[in-house]
Amino acid sequence: MSVIYAVAHQTVREALRRRIMWIFLIIGVFLIALGPVFGFLSPRDSLVILKSLGLAAILLAGLFTTIVTCIYLIPVEIDRRTIYTVLSKPVQRYQFVLGKFIGGFFTVFINIAAMGIVFLVMLYFQMGHHLAPDMVEGVVLTFFQLMLLAALSIFFSTFATPVVNFFLSFGIFMVGNLTSVTDTLTTSKSPIAALAGRIIYYLLPQFGNFNIMNSLIHPGQNITNMQVYIRNCIVYAIIYSSVLLAIAILIFDSREV
Amino acid sequence: MATAISIQGLTKKYVDVWQKQEVIAVNNLNLEVQEGEIFGFLGRNGAGKTTTIKMLLGLVFPTAGDAALLGAPMGDNNAKNFLAYLPEETYFYDSMSAWDLMDYYGRLFKLPKNVREQRISICLEKVRLQKDAWHRNIRGYSKGMRQRTGIAQALINDPKLLFLDEPTSGLDPIAHAELRDIVASLKDEGKTVFLSSHQLADVELICTRVAIIHRGKLLRVGTIQELVAGQRTEITVQGKELMNGTLAKLKNISPDIEEQGMSTLVIQSDDTAQVSAIIDVVRGADCSVLSIVPHKRTLEEVFVETVRREEESL
Ligand SMILES: Nc1ncnc2c1ncn2[C@@H]1O[C@H](COP(=O)(O)OP(=O)(O)O)[C@@H](O)[C@H]1O
Ligand SMILES: [Mg+2]
Repeated sequence: MSVIYAVAHQTVREALRRRIMWIFLIIGVFLIALGPVFGFLSPRDSLVILKSLGLAAILLAGLFTTIVTCIYLIPVEIDRRTIYTVLSKPVQRYQFVLGKFIGGFFTVFINIAAMGIVFLVMLYFQMGHHLAPDMVEGVVLTFFQLMLLAALSIFFSTFATPVVNFFLSFGIFMVGNLTSVTDTLTTSKSPIAALAGRIIYYLLPQFGNFNIMNSLIHPGQNITNMQVYIRNCIVYAIIYSSVLLAIAILIFDSREV
Repeated sequence: MATAISIQGLTKKYVDVWQKQEVIAVNNLNLEVQEGEIFGFLGRNGAGKTTTIKMLLGLVFPTAGDAALLGAPMGDNNAKNFLAYLPEETYFYDSMSAWDLMDYYGRLFKLPKNVREQRISICLEKVRLQKDAWHRNIRGYSKGMRQRTGIAQALINDPKLLFLDEPTSGLDPIAHAELRDIVASLKDEGKTVFLSSHQLADVELICTRVAIIHRGKLLRVGTIQELVAGQRTEITVQGKELMNGTLAKLKNISPDIEEQGMSTLVIQSDDTAQVSAIIDVVRGADCSVLSIVPHKRTLEEVFVETVRREEESL
C-alpha cells in the first residue's frame, strides 16, 4: 500500500507541475464566471442557464485535464527511462499502474473540486444564499464520470501511444455521451442497428448517464429517484474502472519496458 | 563464497515485424558471478550488455534461458530489496531535487522517514554531490552531477548486488576518476558489482573478473591476470645476411615479422620456446640481436584481439 501511495504522490507532484493543467483550470473557472453574464441576457430562466453552463464548463475543462494528464502518465516514464529505476526496486507492476491511476485521478479530483467550489459558491450567492443540492450532485457525478475516463486513458496508455490514446479516449467519451443516439439505435426496427446500439450500450462506458442536466433538458427522461440513480452511476463508474484497470495491469505485466 | 548471479542459457531475440528481421541481442549466455566480485561485463556498443541486465531485472523477458540473483529467480520482487540498478543515460524526474528524488526512491523501499533521511545524506555524501545542489532541481545539474545522483540512488537501499550500466561514460576526467574510485570502494564494503563498460582502462583497474561479450555471444571469461596472460616478446635483430635464407627460416618459426630497412627485422612472438629458437637462428646466421623486450598485454589488446578474431571467424 505504501508503495502505491508513493507512486501516486509522485505522480500528482509531477502532474501539478505541468502548466497545461493550470491553463485548463483557469479556462474552466473563467467559463463558470461567465454564467451570470448569460443569466442577465435572458433573465427568465437564468438559473437553468447558469447551472447548465457551469456544469458544462466543469465537464469540459475536466475532460481535457483528465485526458492530457492520464495519457502521458505511463509513456513519459518509459520515454524518460525513469521507469527502469522504479521497476528495478521492489515495486510490482500492478502497484505502478495503480499508483499512476490514483495519482491521475487525484489530480482530476483537485481540478474538479476547485472548479466545483467556485461554481457552487457562485450559485449560492446567485440563489440568494441558498445551496443548490442538485448541483452538488451534478459536480459529484461529473467527478465520477471523469474518474471513469481516467481509467480508460490509463488503460489505453498501456499499449497505445499518447496521440492514438488521445483520439481513442476522446472518441469513446463522445460516443459514450451520445445516449439519445444509442437509445434510438437500440429501439430501432432494423436488427443490425439495434445490435449496434446494444453493443455500444453494453460495451462502451455510458458517459452520458452522468450528465444530470440532460434530464432537465429532456424532461421526458425523468429520473424518479435521484438518490438511487446517483448511487447506481457511482457503482457503475467504480466497477467499470476496476475492470479497465485489471485488464490494463494484465497488459502492462507482459509488456517490455 | 556464495553465487550472486547465475545465468543459464539466457537468450533474447528481438523480432522486427516490419522488416521481418531478427536480432539476437543475447545468445545462450552462461555466466556465474560470485559475491564480493567487481565483475566487468565488456562489449562494444550493441553487444547485448544492456539487454542482459534488463532481463536479469525483469524489465524485458528472455526468449530462452533462466537466471538467479542472490539465489532468487530473476524478477523476484523480494530480491529487489537487495538489488540496485543504474541504467545507462538515465533521465531522472528532472523537476525534482536530488534529495526529493532519493526520498521517493527510499519510499519505494518502504524505509521509514528517519532512516530515509539518514540514508539520503550518507549516499549523497558518498558520491560527493556538492551540498548546495542537494535541494536544487536536477534539471540544472551537469552530466557529472547527474551521474553522481544516479549512483547515489543505486545505494539508497544499501544493496548487496549492483548493476551499473556504463556508469563512467561521457564524464570529464575528474568526475570520471572519482566515480571510478567510488565504484571500486564498493568492493571494500562487501558488495557485488556487475559493471557493464567499454572503458577498458577502468575495468582493468577495478574489476576482479571480466567477461567479453560480442554480438550477444560470450567470448571469454576470466580474471584480468588470466586474460592478459601470455607475454608478448619483441625481438629486434640486425645483420647483412638476414635477407638471404635467414628470413625464410625465421618466418617458419614466427610469421609475425616486420622488416625495417635493409638490415633490421622486428619479430613478435608470445611463446618462450619460439623466442629461443629465433635467437639461435639469428646467431647461427652471423647476425646480432639488438634487443629483446617483453611486453605485458593490456586488457585493451586482449579485447581487440578477441573481438577481431571472432569477426574474422564469421
Ligand atoms: N527493444 C529492442 N528492439 C529491437 N532491438 C533491440 C532492442 N533493444 C536492443 N536491441 C538490439 O539488441 C542488440 C543489443 O543491444 P544492447 O543490449 O543495448 O547492447 P549494449 O548495451 O551492449 O550496447 C543491439 O543490436 C540492439 O540494436
Ligand atoms: Mg548498453
